[in-house]
Amino acid sequence: MHILSNIGKSSLLAASIFWIIILSDTFNWDMAPYIFLSLIPIYVICALTILITICPIFWFLENDNYSKQRIFKTYFPIYTIIAFVLCAYSIYKSSFDVFALSFYASAYITTTQSWVWFAKKKRK
Amino acid sequence: MKFKVKFIINMKHIIIIISSILFSTLFYNQQIGLNISIFSVLTVIILAVSNTHKFKNKTTLLYIFIYLLTAALVFIQYTNLSILANIIAFLTLIGSVTESKSSIYVQWYNGIYTSIVGYFHRKFIKQNIKDEDETQKKAIDVLHITKLIGIPLIFIIGFIVLYKNGNPIFNDIISKINFDFINLQWLLFTVLGYYLFSNIFNPVQVDSATNIDLQTGNTLRKSETFSIEALKKEKQLGTILLLLLNILIVFYLATDIISLSTINSTHASVLSSQVHSGIYTLIASIIIAIIIILYFFRGDLNFFKDNRILKNLSYTWIFLNAVLVILIATKNYNYIASFGLTYKRIGVNIYLFLTLIGLITTLLKVSKVKNFWFLMRINTRIAFGFLILFSIIDWDYSITKYNINHAPSLDLNYLINLSDNNAVLLNEYRESTNLNTEQNNRIFTKHLDYIKTVNNRNWQEFTYSNLKLKKLLKKL
Repeated sequence: MHILSNIGKSSLLAASIFWIIILSDTFNWDMAPYIFLSLIPIYVICALTILITICPIFWFLENDNYSKQRIFKTYFPIYTIIAFVLCAYSIYKSSFDVFALSFYASAYITTTQSWVWFAKKKRK
Repeated sequence: MKFKVKFIINMKHIIIIISSILFSTLFYNQQIGLNISIFSVLTVIILAVSNTHKFKNKTTLLYIFIYLLTAALVFIQYTNLSILANIIAFLTLIGSVTESKSSIYVQWYNGIYTSIVGYFHRKFIKQNIKDEDETQKKAIDVLHITKLIGIPLIFIIGFIVLYKNGNPIFNDIISKINFDFINLQWLLFTVLGYYLFSNIFNPVQVDSATNIDLQTGNTLRKSETFSIEALKKEKQLGTILLLLLNILIVFYLATDIISLSTINSTHASVLSSQVHSGIYTLIASIIIAIIIILYFFRGDLNFFKDNRILKNLSYTWIFLNAVLVILIATKNYNYIASFGLTYKRIGVNIYLFLTLIGLITTLLKVSKVKNFWFLMRINTRIAFGFLILFSIIDWDYSITKYNINHAPSLDLNYLINLSDNNAVLLNEYRESTNLNTEQNNRIFTKHLDYIKTVNNRNWQEFTYSNLKLKKLLKKL
């Protein structure tokens, strides 16, 4: 499992989704520096989320008899439904505020895609 | 063959793109109304196109009917319950297309999974099944395209920001660039529609849950090795426990009947406390009753020859709990007869009714030697059926009509605070009765707001009330 590459790709994906939603609401050229600066907190949040919520599932369960693909098929549905409910509830509680919407939408899509990357078979 | 596959894939994308544009047209910046009905028809068409062979199944056809019925109910009734019923019917239908033979709660699980993440599941399947070389080739292509677009874009944005500060004319020109003609939010909403439709186009299933469910039957099986001595001890324990519980509940019921016949209070607080304390007792009693029965009849005791007394005691215990339900229903009826209907009082009645059904299914479980999954399957199916049935009723309108015509003590403020579905009825009542100024004004304002809201609706938000209002205005 390439954790660093996964976190890197996830951070770029999260930043893209986050800023596309924010910029669809208010577009301003002056925001450009913040887009680059935001990569740092986004990377930290992505790393923490992936390391705390996804990696342990693979670390503790993966063995010779229990492949990554099987772990994905069993635990991904539960993880993704819980994540969806939490994100949707948080968006609803924020009264569909653009910042909350972009934060939780990017968090949900990124963690979901991150699972798919983790469960990819290694090429020989 | 290759050409045919490519054609089908292209057709799939074209259908989903058209549907997602329709999705945006229907829902972007709109309230719920006619759009839900059109969306439901669109969903059925998409499912029919992509899963034609599954549409011959009777269960799936029944769920299509239920789904379209709830969509029509959203248009006609426009209540929160009908919207909730429509969402659950949608998930059930998707789950049924995935696997029609599974239990309804597994269908919900599959339905939720498909709707929120079907695209990623298929991506996972594809990346692990596809031929290695082909995958590698495609991965390189995607990466290359991302680099081609992403890297120049990042550098161009970076340099624009740098040059802006260095040259005022360049700054002016850049500041004049206006992307307002592109509605990015509409585009993102269309992408959301694309994601949803691509999720449901080919429904996916949670293999582990679905397979376990399909392999699990409803009937209990006798285990090959069991100790008769241990079963005898368990039977003794069960008999004593259920006997004592039966005596206790008989005593409770006797005192309850006496208190019901002696207390003749018409005070709301007394009746309310009677109903609510009864409900709490009932909740505890029923849950404990079902757990005890499930525990004793979980396995081999069902096949033990000498279990007649224990079974009869269980039936008596279920019957006495049913009597408890009837007693609380009587109290609730008295409460409603004096003070009219409210959501809480209707909720109590629904709860009592469902409890009675829960007791009957537990009785069936014991008498027909069924397992715990039988109870889960039948109870969730019944709950779903009643959700659909209750969504047929416009509760706000019914509560208002009943209370105006039958309640001796009318709580008008409660009725005014309900949704706009009772606005016309309340206005008619206002015109025919002398009310105090405050209530008169509140009802008048509510009715006026209702007419304004209905008249200002876009075609996507139309409901049956638009047609009714149109008729009413024509008459005037």
